[in-house]
Amino acid sequence: MDVGGTFTDVVLLRPDGTVVLEKSPTTPGDQSDGVLAALERLADSEGVTLAALLDATGSIVHGTTTGDNTMIQMSGAPTGLLVTEGFRDEIELRRCYKEDIWDPAYPAPEPIARRRVRLEIPERLTAEGEIDTPLDEEAVRAATRRLRAFGVTSIAVVFLHSYVNPVHELAARELILEEYPDVELVSLSHDVYPKPPEFERTSTTLVNAYVGPPIVRYLGRLESRLRDAGFDRELLIATCAGGVATPEAIGRRAVATIGSGPTGGVVAAARAARDAGLEDVVSVDMGGTSYDVCLIRGGHPELTSDWNWRHRYCIALAMVDIHAIGAGGGSIARVDRGGLHVGPESAGSEPGPVCYGLGGAEPTVTDADLVLGRLDAAGFWGGRRALDVDAARDALARLGRDLGCDAEDAAAAVVRLVDAHMTDAVRRVLALAGVDPRRLSLCAFGGMGAVHATTQAAALGIARVVVPRAAPGLSALGLVSADHVIDATRAHLSEWRGVDLAHVNGLADALETSARAELASAGIPDDRIRLEWLLNLVYPGQTFDNALPLGRRPGEPITAADVAASVEEFHRRNEEARLIEARSQEPMVRGIRLVATGLVDRPSPVELPTTGRAPVPTGKRRVHLGDDWHDAAVYDARELGPGPEITGPALLAYPFTTLTLRPGDVARVLPSGDVVVDVCVQSRSS
Amino acid sequence: MSTTDIDVVTAEVIRSAMETICFEMATYVSRTATTPILNQSNERNATILDGQGRLAALSVGIPQFMLSSTLPVRFCLEFLEGELYPGDVLVANDPYHGGGHLPDFNVFSPVFTDDGELLLVASIQCHHGDTGGALAGGYNVYAKDIWSEGTRYPLLKIIEAGRERRDVVLTMRANNRLPGFIGDLRAQVGAAQLGAARLGEVIAAYGADTVRAAVDWTIDDTRRRFRDEIARWPDGTYESDAYVDSDPAGNNDIHVHVAITIDGEDLVVDFAGSDDRPDINAWSTFGNTRGYTIAQLASLVDPSIPKNEGFFDCIDLRVPAGTCVNPVEGKPVSAGTHHPGVEVGDAIALAMSQILPERCAPQTYKYGAPRQMWGDVDPRSGRPFFDHGGEVNAGWVNAVHGVDGWGALVASNGNLIKAAAEINESLFPHVLRCRNYLTDSGGAGEWRGGCGSLFVKEVRTPTRVNQYVVNRHHLHPGIAGGRSGSPDSCVISEGTEREVVVAPTVADVPMEAGDRLVYRFGGGGGWGDPLDRAPAAVLDDVWDEYVSIDAARDEYGVVISGSLEDMTLTLDEQATEALRASMRERR
Repeated sequence: MDVGGTFTDVVLLRPDGTVVLEKSPTTPGDQSDGVLAALERLADSEGVTLAALLDATGSIVHGTTTGDNTMIQMSGAPTGLLVTEGFRDEIELRRCYKEDIWDPAYPAPEPIARRRVRLEIPERLTAEGEIDTPLDEEAVRAATRRLRAFGVTSIAVVFLHSYVNPVHELAARELILEEYPDVELVSLSHDVYPKPPEFERTSTTLVNAYVGPPIVRYLGRLESRLRDAGFDRELLIATCAGGVATPEAIGRRAVATIGSGPTGGVVAAARAARDAGLEDVVSVDMGGTSYDVCLIRGGHPELTSDWNWRHRYCIALAMVDIHAIGAGGGSIARVDRGGLHVGPESAGSEPGPVCYGLGGAEPTVTDADLVLGRLDAAGFWGGRRALDVDAARDALARLGRDLGCDAEDAAAAVVRLVDAHMTDAVRRVLALAGVDPRRLSLCAFGGMGAVHATTQAAALGIARVVVPRAAPGLSALGLVSADHVIDATRAHLSEWRGVDLAHVNGLADALETSARAELASAGIPDDRIRLEWLLNLVYPGQTFDNALPLGRRPGEPITAADVAASVEEFHRRNEEARLIEARSQEPMVRGIRLVATGLVDRPSPVELPTTGRAPVPTGKRRVHLGDDWHDAAVYDARELGPGPEITGPALLAYPFTTLTLRPGDVARVLPSGDVVVDVCVQSRSS
Repeated sequence: MSTTDIDVVTAEVIRSAMETICFEMATYVSRTATTPILNQSNERNATILDGQGRLAALSVGIPQFMLSSTLPVRFCLEFLEGELYPGDVLVANDPYHGGGHLPDFNVFSPVFTDDGELLLVASIQCHHGDTGGALAGGYNVYAKDIWSEGTRYPLLKIIEAGRERRDVVLTMRANNRLPGFIGDLRAQVGAAQLGAARLGEVIAAYGADTVRAAVDWTIDDTRRRFRDEIARWPDGTYESDAYVDSDPAGNNDIHVHVAITIDGEDLVVDFAGSDDRPDINAWSTFGNTRGYTIAQLASLVDPSIPKNEGFFDCIDLRVPAGTCVNPVEGKPVSAGTHHPGVEVGDAIALAMSQILPERCAPQTYKYGAPRQMWGDVDPRSGRPFFDHGGEVNAGWVNAVHGVDGWGALVASNGNLIKAAAEINESLFPHVLRCRNYLTDSGGAGEWRGGCGSLFVKEVRTPTRVNQYVVNRHHLHPGIAGGRSGSPDSCVISEGTEREVVVAPTVADVPMEAGDRLVYRFGGGGGWGDPLDRAPAAVLDDVWDEYVSIDAARDEYGVVISGSLEDMTLTLDEQATEALRASMRERR
């Protein structure tokens, strides 16, 4: 179940490998309303009751945007911070980082916790974890009372070196709970991000404290509603690393859901591209509200960690690297000082585009696509919502009056502009990676992705587009088919020769126990769990941890020889990469890391039979494609299989989206049902 | 010059690819170097130049240094014309051959076309912790000449056609105190080689003619956009003065004077009239002065203009030889890189504030020289230690029109990711006790200057210190009626019988275990009249202890009753109106 800005998608993966997709409008007030409504629709389409559907369901994986929405609107819990005395302002100092080095007028971020609710506590540990200054318990109590008086309901605690020794943070939690038993959440920094340095940990912990209560409230509501509806197995929540976690784990580390919304789609897009024989692709997910771009090289989306900035805060956890802009079907078109602007404001699902007839008055991209004939007024949303073409046309005619043109020309201008915004976004992402788009393929999904895909590909010089069969619900599909990945680190700072093996083995056991428990609760049998051990090493003075394979024998403790082998490999890699005399330096151990993967049994994909018959259009429609109007053949995409190609102008109608083929574009259906389009780059007008 | 036509999209793709390569070079150094100033502080500046030594692209780094790192490469292209080969990597650090000061080592590698034409140069500049010379640390602020500061390398081929020159490495190793120096230098060499290889891929993909045309296009684009901005500025000559309290030798009031003349789309920046006392120790080399000038001017214009040679082309820069901003060869420069280098930026900002007050904020800092703390024994390892500072502090962030000063340092230092306490405490035997904002340190204004900070470092073992402090008397300026920020001060072993107030320098001062170095970093200047600041904003500042109740009344004319402790602060609107009226009258 994937909650987008406009629609909530549910995907059912049947044991035979077939996939069923349903959609329901997202309910921003309480996302669980939309989730339940979508499940009801799914049960309907399966011809069973919701209770029967849920009873037969093995597990539910859920991607939520509650955390991102909270940060976008800066509407999180009233949050306070207890810090080591002398470190009150880390969150403002940001290690001196500013987003724009050339603009002195670049504004400060909206605060999560203003200075008045960031209170200092006398306590201090050394870098070795020894107590330098004991915790002032009365200060914790007094500060808690003061935060409560300020209306704070969520408290973050960040004490220096707590990742080495959490004793003061743990004691502070007990004192806070004694003083303020009904505090919504206490976030301890060593629990959220057990690593140095202090700024990254402070920022990540503060965001966790801020988004935690809304997310916990939401998941609590959802769990109880699912239970009431008859689901008694574990619900799993998607994380920003492309994995999943239990609601209980998310309760402690809600920040891990930020940026998770689009990860499912990227995981599924990577797989679709591999299945279609395409290696490097750029995935674009166009829904109602946002447009998410991700580069997938070598079949895998890249993860970044440590210095991740989202919503102007550092969230240091490992994340899939996705870039988003505010452009989608709901993007509102306006004329301001004679110029046309599209987005980033979105009509969302309430009131939604004008054509929904739910009270939206300002024309959106969806309205423009409808007026241009690219959407099927009767078949939209699986035929459940008849779109009001006349209302859309009236709204665009009003826009056209300000632009000095008619409704159709206004619609074409709106689409041209939003396409340019999205093309620029792709270009920026690819330029950051130094990649020329002309060497890539485009994987388009989301409810509106297929509608705009061929036009964008042509503008970028991309020759091939792949549209997965489940494109409108790809994020949801990715969630159920992704492997479960737990990537956890415990800090231990030591010179490598003097490393305390008993202690490190204790940390390793704790990591393994907690990873296995979490994977077990996700329904992964023990024999489907793969453990990969890594040792974090640095040369003295290096900031970024280098993760080196640790050759630990299964079931046996880590030995001095294992550590020495990792250090040797570290030297070897450095010498290879830098031609340096690495061995003159003694590496430091910075921690132990476990990547635990729970392998998911994936049903084999369906193979559609090849047919020799030319596909038969279900009708014709007047549609604006490229730069002109055409009479395009319309095909029912559900009826298509591998066989003769379809040449544009044409429209492939899916229950929840439409693939547009411009003149000269050639589409063929793969056995999986995914469609590959050879884009006619020449026909692009400049 | 090429006459190849190029479409805008291809030019943009190549320009972006070059910026990405700069980013990759800088990132490579961060991940492989071992000195905190390189791998934590981002003091590494990656640039790409063309075959004429023109700046084609840059990315992360510090504006004034990225912009100044072209001159050593240009010197090399002239001096070694015809003697450069594929696979060469060169090192240069000499202030009198294009450099800023000796610790900044430029490492660069030429990239050739298949026809043997030198088309591009990948360059990476980094700050190193030692340069040889009379004192450890590369900052001998007592030096009487450049030779006492360290070893000059105007140009060395460290890699010749892909092979490391062992004689060069040996010489450089022999002239440096730090065991990690060669390792860090090799990190830079690796970055330059990476940059050269990536540029080679770009040339292979697009062809030499297209790449050359793309560089021309991007420089032309910048030149045109910058000239458009200049043309909108009112014609005239605008002058200003900025001062350093004193050089490290104690010579007071080092003076930078600038006259900026705008005539249509032409811009002349003339430093005639700046300090020319021959015996001072405050010398900013021509390359350094040029970097600070361009960086400050770039902060005044559309931030989206790509930064390249097009900027330099628009500015007629006149820096008389023998002044403190263009010393004759042989003068010591390690102190002058920062002061009066920084004051060059201050002077430009003050001059331009006469016509562009809304955009003006000095993109500068008042560090003096980097603090050095060292000792013979870290009790944890038994080994000597050398701490270059480079830690996070807040200071000198001016307000601009519409935005209070915020964060730790000015925007132009926004890539300078500084050292963290948790990492440094694992490396050096000290405990950082504090780095909080200081109440009332930000200059008052309609928009308030950013607060300075209180920095307290306690040593765990006998430690020695070098420190140079500025901004004690000549303060970081406010703009458009805004007040200056608070002054800097530094006290060593505060509260003990060993207590020393630094004014302006100390060298080799001993501290005992448990002693504290207490540095109060100054605030940023305000923007506009403090009496025009919204009273509610002042009340918020009092709640957050950026401003005290007393300063709210005395500086802003805002009357607040109640107490923060009791959470009873209230704004007295009537009393505020009355007080502000009387304060205006008394002016």
